[in-house]
Amino acid sequence: MGSRPLKRILLVEDDPDIQTVTSLALGSFGGYTVEVCSSAQQAIDSAAAFAPDLILLDVMMPGMDGIHTLEALRRIPETSVTPVIFLTARVQPHDVARYKELGSLAVIRKPFEPTTLVETIDGIWNEYSGQAD
Amino acid sequence: MTAALRDLAAQYSAALREYCEQGGESALLRAYQLGRRAIGEGVGALEMAALHQEALVGVLSMLGADENSRVATRTSEFFAECLAPFELMRRGFQEAHSALRDLNQTLERRLTAALQDFEAAQGQLYEQRRIQAVKNDFISIMSHEVRTPLTSIHGAINLLKAGLGGDMNAQGQRLLDVCYRNSQRLVRLVNDLLDLQRIESGTMTFNLRPVMLAPLLEHSVDANQAFAGQLGVDLVLNRVPSGLHVRVDTDRFMQVMANLLSNAAKFSPSEGKVVVEARRRGRQVRVAITDHGPGIPAEFRSRIFQKFAQAQPASERGGSGLGLSITKAIVQSLSGRIDYESKPGRTTFYFDIPEWKPGASSHEGAGEDHWAAGH
Repeated sequence: MGSRPLKRILLVEDDPDIQTVTSLALGSFGGYTVEVCSSAQQAIDSAAAFAPDLILLDVMMPGMDGIHTLEALRRIPETSVTPVIFLTARVQPHDVARYKELGSLAVIRKPFEPTTLVETIDGIWNEYSGQAD
Repeated sequence: MTAALRDLAAQYSAALREYCEQGGESALLRAYQLGRRAIGEGVGALEMAALHQEALVGVLSMLGADENSRVATRTSEFFAECLAPFELMRRGFQEAHSALRDLNQTLERRLTAALQDFEAAQGQLYEQRRIQAVKNDFISIMSHEVRTPLTSIHGAINLLKAGLGGDMNAQGQRLLDVCYRNSQRLVRLVNDLLDLQRIESGTMTFNLRPVMLAPLLEHSVDANQAFAGQLGVDLVLNRVPSGLHVRVDTDRFMQVMANLLSNAAKFSPSEGKVVVEARRRGRQVRVAITDHGPGIPAEFRSRIFQKFAQAQPASERGGSGLGLSITKAIVQSLSGRIDYESKPGRTTFYFDIPEWKPGASSHEGAGEDHWAAGH
């Protein structure tokens, strides 16, 4: 199984404290390059230049929510097929079904353990790149 | 005139004449019986009066004029006796009518009361449903709202514990452990509340698929060994009979095991062992978790599976008091039952779920349980 390396993560999250914790965990334990965006608009503006390998997307955000943000990102060539993981507290069964319908790789439920976040993302990524090869 | 009526008229005439000539109680009894017979043959009081008049004319024509006074008296008596059954019947009708009217009024009152009770019960049901819906919404919103700050708090503590903030002295480390344990408790409480809300609103979903029991139990024991280890307790899995399969949602099964194992570890003495066993029991599989703790207090047993039930204050054991109630609901959703046996020094919680036989219809899920929320 040849696995594509995961290096660049676009984190879309409106809560500044969660941004700090998540980006610290991803940077310190995973060594990833993380671009943090506080809103859908920021994500749309950065997507093309940053060209992420993976998008971590919050769902409940003021203005445009995560679902619509994903739709907008899909219209940008650099992120039209970029894998997405939802990072959210909204995990009712119908929510999870919706994330899957939208083609996301997985959903990570808040609150999560930052120390095992990298391990979780690596596991999901390896499975994805194994299937993608 | 019908043959029966003609016969009755003849008998009446004969009896009346006899009474006019002889009088006496037995003749009056015959008059009464004639009246009853007339009623039995559908003769009304007016027809009876016509018969009497006809018979009276016949009797008068046969007797002398000086006897008229006596005849008039006796025929009146005879006729009155003959009409007695009609009077009794009328009174009977009247009483029956009165009783029916009373019964009708009673039924009407009962019906009105029943309708009022029904409307009140319906109102209560609507109110209960409304309160339940408000409660579900509240728990759902509250859980989501609490999760956001909790993600930051728990995450930050987690990173500090992992050394991201640099070295910390022993006192600082102790305080950090306090923060960590309590933020974990809060996370569990929020998760339990959401599970409870899903169970009560019927929205908890189960991705059922057949799995081998032995690896599932091994996985459960491995996943909870670290927690038990912190309490100085060892989790031991006895050999599971080969070929045992169950059809379960593996995440929910693991949740049941995590709850029972963590409870057993919490109530075990330090250096104690918690033993997990599985065996066939008819068409069922029994999974049993035994600890060697103090046993379940007698006064707690009747409410052990109830919501917010705790044998000790939450601060001493760190639970929400929802675990066993959620566990029971999950086991029941897997078509199983849960119970326990307890005495000082030995408590066993066990649950029975149907054994799945390979080749049986499984209605297998899409094998997507690894995808579900909660990574």
